[in-house]
Amino acid sequence: MFKLPETAPALLGVGVLLASLSLSAAEPLGIGRMATADEIAGWDIDVRPDGQGLPPGQGSVMNGELLYESRCASCHGSFGEGIDRWPVLAGGYDTLTLERPTKTVGSYWPYASTLWDYIYRAMPFSAPRSLSVDETYAVSAYVLYLNDIVDDDFVLTQGNLARIEMPNREGFFVDNRPDSPNTRCMQECARPDQLEMVGTIGGITPVGHFRADVDAPAASHDAQKSLEDQKEEARLRALGVEVDETVPAAVALSDEAKAGQAVYEAACVACHATGLAGAPKVGDHKAWGPRIDQGVSVLIRHAIEGFTGKEGVMPAKGGRMDLTDQQVSRAVAFMTEKSQ
Amino acid sequence: MSRIIRNTTTREMLAQLAREAEGLSQRERREFLRKGVTALSAAAASGVAVAASVNTDNLPPNEPSWSRQLGHGVVDSPYGMPSTYEQHVVRRTVPWLTAESISSISMTPLADLKGIITPNGLVFERYHAGVPLINPDEHRLILHGLVERPLIFTMDDLMRFPSASEIKFIECPANGGMEWKGAQMEALQFTHGMLSCCEWTGVPLRVLLQEAGVKPEGKWILAEGADGAHMSRSIPLEKALDDTLVVYAQNGERLRPEQGYPLRLINPGWEGNTSIKWLRRLEVGDQPWYHREETSKYTDLLANGKARKFSFVQEANSVITHPCPEKPIRQSGFIEIEGLAWSGRGHIKQVDISFDGGVSWVPAQLKGLVLPKALTRFSLVTRWEGQTWLLQARAMDETGYVQPTLKQLREVRGTNSIYHKNSIHTWKVAANGEVTNVQIT
Repeated sequence: MFKLPETAPALLGVGVLLASLSLSAAEPLGIGRMATADEIAGWDIDVRPDGQGLPPGQGSVMNGELLYESRCASCHGSFGEGIDRWPVLAGGYDTLTLERPTKTVGSYWPYASTLWDYIYRAMPFSAPRSLSVDETYAVSAYVLYLNDIVDDDFVLTQGNLARIEMPNREGFFVDNRPDSPNTRCMQECARPDQLEMVGTIGGITPVGHFRADVDAPAASHDAQKSLEDQKEEARLRALGVEVDETVPAAVALSDEAKAGQAVYEAACVACHATGLAGAPKVGDHKAWGPRIDQGVSVLIRHAIEGFTGKEGVMPAKGGRMDLTDQQVSRAVAFMTEKSQ
Repeated sequence: MSRIIRNTTTREMLAQLAREAEGLSQRERREFLRKGVTALSAAAASGVAVAASVNTDNLPPNEPSWSRQLGHGVVDSPYGMPSTYEQHVVRRTVPWLTAESISSISMTPLADLKGIITPNGLVFERYHAGVPLINPDEHRLILHGLVERPLIFTMDDLMRFPSASEIKFIECPANGGMEWKGAQMEALQFTHGMLSCCEWTGVPLRVLLQEAGVKPEGKWILAEGADGAHMSRSIPLEKALDDTLVVYAQNGERLRPEQGYPLRLINPGWEGNTSIKWLRRLEVGDQPWYHREETSKYTDLLANGKARKFSFVQEANSVITHPCPEKPIRQSGFIEIEGLAWSGRGHIKQVDISFDGGVSWVPAQLKGLVLPKALTRFSLVTRWEGQTWLLQARAMDETGYVQPTLKQLREVRGTNSIYHKNSIHTWKVAANGEVTNVQIT
């Protein structure tokens, strides 16, 4: 049996009380508290085209080049050409009307402030908010240089950024839709003999979940990677190549590695769980084997100091300069032990 | 990526349709159907045989195994999950669209959903720097800029405000964007799945603005997330005072991490990226900020090289969800053609259906809840006897705006806009009931 709450009769009076307390629409309710100037300053990172929000500072194209090579080029390419599907940053002039336009900072972006704002708030991808103000000026200057917008001796500053004129600054207009009028026609709305029909072809859509016996991509990045690995193994087998099928046994982690797990999850996972920027994925013993063979001390040194290899770039401490050397070395222990 | 066949014209298809209708006797037609339709449905149509995966021991007149034993008890699964037989109803992505999964998008399995509400675990995902895991006790919202009183709120503070609940769709403006140049995606999930609809609960943004007191020169608001992308968009004050919500719950429970836990913006009817997730900061200013996601991205490049900016509204759109590639027609006879329509400008007023690629149209019925800026379900019951159909739906909203044809859209915008492709969509239903994605211009 359910019991009625003993306070039920008392509730009858509440409506009257609420009515007497009802507030006029314009009055603040007094919820929350005043934000302090310090609290706001720490989070207020935005910059506008007129330069409002830019902190004092400066950075040269020359300094930017070094930073760009170590922090940006692994995804965006040394010349801003973009690796794999990562954004192209430079070039593309006079392509906006072509069938395949190349929209870059130089060919498309209307304001230089956007570049500074975005780098400061979100880049590098694997370590956002890790660049200092001056570093942000320098990297921004270098990307402008890659787009032939400034010369190689240029120094970008709080004072001159808003004065930079981007080539496509006049290229935008405010939404003017609706722009494509249709009517609610019910009969003879089109002439069948003038219609053209275009179909899809197979092979580029993940359809394996509802269609049998098709050669289709998988429906997630991880599944697609496994699918490609399987196909590669099948191809090698067909060629008579020996394929390593040993499944690594679950290993008990050392204390060092256990201590590194949290660091890995906070700082390394973005690249080393996904293979971003050519990073060896944790658990991929084929990718890690040759690296581990060099000796873990070499790996730790590369992780702390940074390393450029054939397959990708390891930025110093993965861009997380706030990590101690010990934290990095523990994370390396975690990743190598999980990948043996 | 657009590899396109251009060898079947609609004229040929309509001619084929006519031949089928005239040339086949009823008996032949039945025979044709029986051969064409898959084994499962042909068997079901005959009334006795069953699909291979079915254990006949569990069919009448037998008592099924689950009726002769006990099931698990309460709280066996403290947070319940769908039946294991529904494991195919999941979000999916097209891996080649993005370099990796952290800055990427997944799509809602629209073909398997009923009604207008998207279950929380199936709401499409779009991240620019992955999903942050935020401790709500450590989350803060700062509201500052051109205000009388810059304020900072805890989650507890925000939940003290009088709450509002609204059912609204949310859609990525790139929904359908892979199809500007030609039909590419072979499934409804990928042609239209960057679309979901939830009941959102939170505080109207105008209430928070009133609490802070917007100065007269305040015209725009910058909304910013607490994710690694610090995702940011400029929102006109007019929208903020109209129907923008600062929400902490969806479909009755607190937001999912994928959807902005513990706090996000909802700009009803507007492109999804303006509904900033993991919301940490709102700044009132006198002009827009022109950040990356409103210049480099989410601007619509037209054929003349000029680009539309601040194209916020998701214009009226619709799609047939049954039949569709994932749900081919399995049996002849009665069929309910169903679909979803939505408009960022308000209510859906009318949806029409065409069976002949847009030559002639018949009205469909709206069913269930018909709410402004929400998914709206439409339906038309008819019969299918193995005809070839070129199925289309066309939505009209309360402003009188009628969803355009692909041809009309391309004439005005070219094919490089990426965003806001809301043209009439075509499914080709073949004589065997299979459904494929085609474009008619």
